[in-house]
Amino acid sequence: MTDQVTFPDAVQWAVPFFIAAILAEFLWIAVKGKGGRYETRDAVTSLIMGAGNIASGLLLGFIAYAFFMWLWQITPLDLGTSIPVIVLCFVLDDLRYYWVHRFGHRIRWVWASHVNHHSSQHYNLTTALRQTWTYTFTFMMVVRAPLILLGFHPAMVLFVGGLNLIYQFWIHTEAIGKMPRWFEAVMNTPSHHRVHHGRNARYLDCNYAGAFIIWDKMFGTFVPEQEDDRVDFGLVHNIGTFNPLRVAFHEWVGIWRDASQPGLTLRQRLAYCFAPPGYSHDGSRDNSQQIKAKHIALHPEDRGTPGFEHFRADLPKSQAEQA
Amino acid sequence: MPLGILLVLVIGGIAGITLMMHLAGKSRVTQLTPDVAKAAWLRHVPGDKVVDVTITNDGHTALIRTPAGNGLVWSFGADTVARHLQDFDWMDHPKGFEVRFHDFGTPRVLIHLDDTERQHWHNLMEPA
Ligand SMILES: [Zn+2]
Ligand SMILES: [Zn+2]
Repeated sequence: MTDQVTFPDAVQWAVPFFIAAILAEFLWIAVKGKGGRYETRDAVTSLIMGAGNIASGLLLGFIAYAFFMWLWQITPLDLGTSIPVIVLCFVLDDLRYYWVHRFGHRIRWVWASHVNHHSSQHYNLTTALRQTWTYTFTFMMVVRAPLILLGFHPAMVLFVGGLNLIYQFWIHTEAIGKMPRWFEAVMNTPSHHRVHHGRNARYLDCNYAGAFIIWDKMFGTFVPEQEDDRVDFGLVHNIGTFNPLRVAFHEWVGIWRDASQPGLTLRQRLAYCFAPPGYSHDGSRDNSQQIKAKHIALHPEDRGTPGFEHFRADLPKSQAEQA
Repeated sequence: MPLGILLVLVIGGIAGITLMMHLAGKSRVTQLTPDVAKAAWLRHVPGDKVVDVTITNDGHTALIRTPAGNGLVWSFGADTVARHLQDFDWMDHPKGFEVRFHDFGTPRVLIHLDDTERQHWHNLMEPA
């Protein structure tokens, strides 16, 4: 019976709201003279990436959906579609989002898809729409398998996933400083997510949350925004193109070039595909841990502060780096 | 949502927002000064030593000399991008020099040069 379950495509229905909110933020910044920055080509690129993301969902979404429906056929469990089940599904899918997002920053194969969300040096509501076109090729849909096997209908899982993306839209703004304390403690907020978009050494690889920041606190990846370390938005190596095709595919091309160069062992080729971003077989690049270590060498006073907890303040240097 | 309406919303929305930003003056390109260019370089290579900065007359590109070699900083909309001058080709272009990085995400930069600075930049790019 519940094979006939249908849910609206929430992201598509949110498009008019996205447009209205962008206009509102733009006018707010223009009137107040603060609260963020807009640049034409940057914003247009972000918007085209968003449109392409919807298009890629229409074109390739059937692959994930067929996989989910197959899981639905084999699972004996069916939790139905009552409101408490939908709420529980949203919370568990948000946990799923946390891990997919964390993999997205720690596995280059997944980063190749996710990098484009971070490829703007701006942080405004258009940045929220700078979304991947190549998610299907990361195979991260497998992370949703447990939810469906537990008896959450695939249509409901996709519906709450859409709500999650819509939630994350509004937090891409500098117009809001901090939300009320209780809200900052539980929910992902503009402040927490600004940190996630930072290229500062302190802010690399943290705040992977979708809707609830509690996952980062549970799994030890939470870094609060620091008054004295203003977020510098973008990538460690910012890209020099507004061309949406280059934005969408540049890291995939990079993986291919790195992994196919002559004279590497199989292990090195695999590392170029799946190791954390910044891997190189000859040590010519830095990953996030090396960038943090270099920062601490230049700024020892930051040792032990948020984002640098692994560099313990009370230990001598050599010991601290192993801690 | 019907595909036709979605298309009209998306295309109309992008066109409208683009036009509004352009008319509001948000297409202006960053002007580099020596200080801005130096700060942009250090943002890219934290802790590096900048020996010397040369800025084009149009203020959109800077050549950075460091002990480890040369680099370029250029205006990228309201922001800047920086790269070491390693693994690159450069060629004459009617408007100046074209630099090609072998990088899909940062393919090329056009350095606009007028006749008074062209020779100087030639020497900078190709130290004897
Ligand atoms: Zn991310
Ligand atoms: Zn984001």
